[in-house]
Amino acid sequence: MMAESDTTVEATRRLNVKKQTLDDAYAAPANFLEIDVVNPVTTIGVGKKRFTDYEVKMRTNLPVFKVKESSVRRRYSDFEWLRNELERDSKIVVPPLPGKAWKRQLPFRGDDGIFEEDFIEDRRKGLEVFINKINDDYADVTVPVLEAMQHHSTTY
Amino acid sequence: MPSTPPQISPVEEQEKYLHDALGVVKAQAFHMKRALDKNKLMDALKNASAMLAELRTSLLSPKSYYELYMAITDELRHMELYLVDEFQKGRKVPDLYELVQYAGNIVPRLYLLITVGLVYIKTNTSLRRDLLKDLVEMCRGVQHPLRGLFLRNYLLQCTRNVLPDAPDTDVDCPEGTVKDSIDFVLMNFAEMNKLWVRMQHQGHSRDRHNREREREELRILVGTNLVRLSQLESVTLEKYQKSVLPGILEQVVSCRDAIAQEYLMECVIQVFPDEFHIQTLNPFLKSCAELEAGVNVKNIVISLIERLAAFSQRSDALGSEGVNILQEVQLFEVFSNQVSSIIANREYLPPEDMVALQVALVNLALKCYPDRIDYIDKVMLSSVEVLQRLGLEHLESHTPVAKELQKLLKIPLDNYNSLLMVLKLKHYAGLMQHLDYLGRKALSIYILNNALEHETIIPTAEESEQALTLLNTLVTDKNEHPIGELDMEELAEEQCLLARFIHQLRSNEPDDQYLILTSARKFCHQTITALVKAELAELPLRLFLQGALAIDQIGFENHETVAYEFMSQAFSLYEDEISDSKAQLAAITLIVGSLEQISCFSEENSDPLRTQCALAASKLLKKPDQCRGVATCSHLFWSGKSLASKGEETHDGKHVVECLKKGLRIAKQCMDTSVQVQLFVELLNHYIYFFEKGNDQVDVEILNQLIKKIGDELANLESSDEAEQISKHFSNTLAHLKLRMESPDGDRDVYRGIKLNPDGVVETEKEKVDA
Repeated sequence: MMAESDTTVEATRRLNVKKQTLDDAYAAPANFLEIDVVNPVTTIGVGKKRFTDYEVKMRTNLPVFKVKESSVRRRYSDFEWLRNELERDSKIVVPPLPGKAWKRQLPFRGDDGIFEEDFIEDRRKGLEVFINKINDDYADVTVPVLEAMQHHSTTY
Repeated sequence: MPSTPPQISPVEEQEKYLHDALGVVKAQAFHMKRALDKNKLMDALKNASAMLAELRTSLLSPKSYYELYMAITDELRHMELYLVDEFQKGRKVPDLYELVQYAGNIVPRLYLLITVGLVYIKTNTSLRRDLLKDLVEMCRGVQHPLRGLFLRNYLLQCTRNVLPDAPDTDVDCPEGTVKDSIDFVLMNFAEMNKLWVRMQHQGHSRDRHNREREREELRILVGTNLVRLSQLESVTLEKYQKSVLPGILEQVVSCRDAIAQEYLMECVIQVFPDEFHIQTLNPFLKSCAELEAGVNVKNIVISLIERLAAFSQRSDALGSEGVNILQEVQLFEVFSNQVSSIIANREYLPPEDMVALQVALVNLALKCYPDRIDYIDKVMLSSVEVLQRLGLEHLESHTPVAKELQKLLKIPLDNYNSLLMVLKLKHYAGLMQHLDYLGRKALSIYILNNALEHETIIPTAEESEQALTLLNTLVTDKNEHPIGELDMEELAEEQCLLARFIHQLRSNEPDDQYLILTSARKFCHQTITALVKAELAELPLRLFLQGALAIDQIGFENHETVAYEFMSQAFSLYEDEISDSKAQLAAITLIVGSLEQISCFSEENSDPLRTQCALAASKLLKKPDQCRGVATCSHLFWSGKSLASKGEETHDGKHVVECLKKGLRIAKQCMDTSVQVQLFVELLNHYIYFFEKGNDQVDVEILNQLIKKIGDELANLESSDEAEQISKHFSNTLAHLKLRMESPDGDRDVYRGIKLNPDGVVETEKEKVDA
């Protein structure tokens, strides 16, 4: 294309690029989707039984989402439900959830079982990894997954 | 689609990644140089490509990436030097530019393309314009912010010395002219700014702080474009006005990113010459008004004002006509208008920033247009308008906005060191009202100190009035001072300052002087009233009396009324505020003493005053005090002057005697005999005084009676120190009489008949005759 050569080689031909408007140039890229699992809280529920739930926060500027920000509280069993739905319906390899921790639910433990602070923190991290992995690996299920999270709850 | 944010790892991981990458670079560079030594260009290019591939990483922080970039680009020098050498020796590699575009990954591809392109440009300037254009557009291929920024930085650095710098011509010029350079750099700048701003949106929202810090680290990469533009010598003022500045401002305003805007605007000010700035103020400042809320516009504008104020004072600051630039550019007017616009348009500009801008404007006016007092006044007016629009009254002293306002108000005073000049500013007083009580007080004191230090004379009544109005916080008390104790010392100091200042109000023209004093009098009255309110009693009393005395002396029209007023005030004060009996005695003595000296009263004024004195005296708490008080009053009726007596002593003998008789009566009521006697002796002295002065109501008879009485009582007194004292006093009094009676000069006849020794009568000639 340059220098002394007369031949214009196809492979290195320049593309015709439309000039970008200033607004487009400086706009925030529409590729932003954050999901966080935070703020574990243990409360007393129906039948005086304790349970822990987590805040699932979502922030996005993807056009496909109608609501750009949401926050719901969900518990481990909700994540289990979600995982089961995904395994049943779609062809994807669903990532694993953090463990069910049966042992921790047995009586006569020296500690607080499934309500131990460390355990809850590990579980929280695990749930965050779980939900983000689905989002990262399987872009096309992201929307249904997150909408399901928004609407389904075993508690409320 | 959603992307995993780059896994930027903590410090040790970074060090490891960098270390590994640098290892690869070192190895590849070694092989590359060896290949070049053997003239094996294709191999060398492969090695270079492998080396450049390290710049594809997502693992490094900007700091680490920079280190890697420096190492690699250093090594690329060798490639460049080799190729330039080959080309210059005539051994041009055919289609090299084409060739390198086949490199597999875009990052190495573009770095190589730039390097080779540079070689071509250096060795054949006729390709320059087209090559530069191609290169700056090709870089679009890398849209990753960090990688893209460094790539374009490489382009900018490589082309540092080869940018065409010839003035534009009408002829087509493949070597390129300054226009091509401007286009090249502006495009590079726009793209780099875009990438830099895009960084803001990378990564998780919780990492925003980190991200912004990293962006700050990279800002110089973007700023270098502006530096490059400033280095082009063929960029004339016209080119700057028409192409360069508009191109820059367009990007700065459109990017709507506070970090970028604040940095770039400052950058523009720093890199381009003041000669350009002073001629492009309007577009620049207009852009300032449009910047994002988070940008500190105040700092930008103030730094520009200060710069240009300094610049305009230089002897080489010339306009197009060869005269000083200020003849061409209305510096103050432009800034004043634009600053108003900025203040009006920016929603989140804090009020202290608005006032700080006014401070900068005032300083500009004083520096560049020292005789344009109307400019200073304009700033005062703008400030008032700003504060009014914001509804800000009574700015609390400790707030930033109040501090700025104080600063602003002190500037004209500090500069001219003349209160007279400050009084010429019509809006100064109004602006001062926006401070709270404490602020106004502090400023008033500042003004007074300045006036006294510089011995500023206020020569006219009008200006005196203005000055006192300005200082009215110190003059009148509107019950504004904060709850809590009033600091007496502080108050006394303030009033002292004011009082000293009053002396600065003077004119050589007597008429003017009179008018000045009328204003001052009003002030005096207010001050004293203020002191009264401050629960000081003695001081205001003295002041009222002194005032009355002074007024008595100055024969202006109506001075009698004014003096009477002061005396009445003194009396009210006495009645209302002074309750301690000792203080009362002292006070009434003062009042009497003052009244005695005043001569301007007519009978209808002086009579009631004298009577009031006597009455007050008779009401004193302790009998001895009453006696003494009334005795003192007697002098009012003798030596007191008035209009009735045409300024001469009244010599109202009757009233004198009445007073003294009353005194006697009171003395007789005293319980303590020794006190009684003491009082009698004192009264005797009073009587003698009047006798000697020729009061015909005081005759020998009265004297004798009193002398006898005293003698009798004395004899009955128990012996004591006190009794001795009294006795001594009496003896002295008699001795005085004796002296008078026996004196060869003077009127012995007057003293005829006085019985000094009641029991053993000394016969006088008259008696001998009568007997």
